[in-house]
Amino acid sequence: MTRPVPVILDCDPGHDDAIAIVMAHCSPAIEILGITTTCGNATLDRTTANARRILELIGATHVPVAAGMEKPLARDLVLGTADGPSGLDGTPYLPDPTMPLDPRHAVDFIADTLRAAPGPVTLVPTGPLSNIGMFLLKYPELRDRIARVVLMGGAMYRRSEYITATEFNIFCDPEAASIVLNSGLDVTMVGLDVTMQVLIEEPEFARLAAIDTPFARVVHDWLRHYEKLHRGQMGVGGAMHDPLALACVIEPSLITTRDAHVAIDLTATHAFGATVADYWNERGLPPNAHVASGVDAARFFDLMFDLLAAVDAT
Amino acid sequence: MERIILDIDGAGDDQLAILYAQGCPDILLEGVTCCHGAAGSVEQVTGVALHVLSVAGADHVPVASGAWRPFVGNSAADMEAPVHFEKRLRARFGDRLEGFNRPAPPRAREPLAMHAVDFIIDMVRANPGEISIVATGPQTNVAMALRQAPDIAGKVRQIVVLGGCFRTPGNITPVSEYNIWADPEAAKVVLNSGAPVVLVPLDICEDNRVAPSMMTRDDLADLAAGPQGPVTRFVTETFPIYIDIWREFFGLVGFPLDDAIAVATVPYPHLFGMTPPLHVDVALHERLVRGQTVAHRGRQILHFEGPATTRICEDLDGAAFLAGFKQALVALDQGQGA
Repeated sequence: MTRPVPVILDCDPGHDDAIAIVMAHCSPAIEILGITTTCGNATLDRTTANARRILELIGATHVPVAAGMEKPLARDLVLGTADGPSGLDGTPYLPDPTMPLDPRHAVDFIADTLRAAPGPVTLVPTGPLSNIGMFLLKYPELRDRIARVVLMGGAMYRRSEYITATEFNIFCDPEAASIVLNSGLDVTMVGLDVTMQVLIEEPEFARLAAIDTPFARVVHDWLRHYEKLHRGQMGVGGAMHDPLALACVIEPSLITTRDAHVAIDLTATHAFGATVADYWNERGLPPNAHVASGVDAARFFDLMFDLLAAVDAT
Repeated sequence: MERIILDIDGAGDDQLAILYAQGCPDILLEGVTCCHGAAGSVEQVTGVALHVLSVAGADHVPVASGAWRPFVGNSAADMEAPVHFEKRLRARFGDRLEGFNRPAPPRAREPLAMHAVDFIIDMVRANPGEISIVATGPQTNVAMALRQAPDIAGKVRQIVVLGGCFRTPGNITPVSEYNIWADPEAAKVVLNSGAPVVLVPLDICEDNRVAPSMMTRDDLADLAAGPQGPVTRFVTETFPIYIDIWREFFGLVGFPLDDAIAVATVPYPHLFGMTPPLHVDVALHERLVRGQTVAHRGRQILHFEGPATTRICEDLDGAAFLAGFKQALVALDQGQGA
């Protein structure tokens, strides 16, 4: 057994963020140093409460949670619609959290955590990149303490009619995303090209039902709600966006990647926030991201359900 | 006594703004925060701030280093354009240019261990309604503080922004002023934050309409003729080249004191003509107009949302300002026993 990868999860829970948190907690391959929250799927106060609700639900209240940016770096707030107004609609089971909130701002929490860590830390952002962008603006001297960034975000326009020009996390804060991509960090982009290939449909719901723990029943309720919202909008099941990004830290071989220079369109209208990958190096700029292009969906779901089944809480 | 934080980018007039703020009897300079910008890297700007405060005998004034880059910025070629401009200056002024934008000397002390953004947030939160932020470089530090701690928009006394232009042509594009252009996204955050803003545009600084506010060789001669001390010596030795550059290359009668003028708005608003609070926004997109400041006034058919919180300075009693400015420099030397 190799040593677990130390990670900071930067997220906006969110049903799929919630599952990513649970997977990170249950996987022996991951050590969660902390969770930082941002606006995105819901307002910051809601995503922050949700992160703590989830930790309480799975008995992981030792994990510190620090709240971050209330708004994107430079834009007005845009909220997602895929998770309902609470960010975690669909279940009556979760009471208001009582575990403490770290008093530090997320960017300062990340800085302190990186300084205290014995080695480089992996960042896993699964929401808009406002916190990470602000962190890189504020603490450039700590950049080299980041091992890599594995982020859920972006879309490269490949093989799918239900991929829009722009993915939500990048659309929300394209300036922050641009800072992250141009930071020189080792960035893996787990975008819609692959996350829209890991959809929770009836066979997956059957596997979830078969786990049949109190916790799995909560997840089932969440995902039924999430799936309904997805299907209403796009006609497909719920995409496991954030769990896939997290799973790629546990098991990098789940995805195949192509290296490319990715630029973000900060000024367009219909393609605003689009991530434009230069696979043919026409820009003459060195690659700044490993762009996920393929995924082994079956192995991903095996991993996800194994980890969800490991939760013995509630 | 007006309490200010001066957020600078370390160019010549920023240095004079530090001296003016420290020497002005009606200002308490609570700290200097440093931002990337006209003088180069934030390290260079921090060194300049520490040096100038030392000249002023003000080593007790806290200095905090801040943003090292803008939110987005501009193309590398455009960002380097001022360097090419310096090459033209060198062709004209030769070795005299060594005195222009001089590298900061070795530091006599270190800046605070805390980031400029945290210094701003902590000061404003601890003194609600008391602190004016005067930002004379790109708005990156102020915008970061407002984004990390949105509550300070309601706690700051005012934010004075040196930047933009309305009647006077821009200095980086025909319609854009350097500070706003260097980080337009940050400027937009500040102007739309809801905090009360006083905007000091090029119109009342770098325009011969306000010639009496500019520093000429006559003013340096006045300073040289009076009692001498570290501050008067620093100014009379450093600034002849600045006066000459602004006369020859920008057609102004003297060296414009933009950043010191911005400082003066805080204790002496009666020296200024200001608009009522307006919504002022920043154009972000096209290179030709990127960084243009747009004031919403008059009547238009289209409606634009935004807070009417920015008063634009349109006039300045330049002679009164300059007299007070020179008095402040002399007072600093007198305070040091010169």
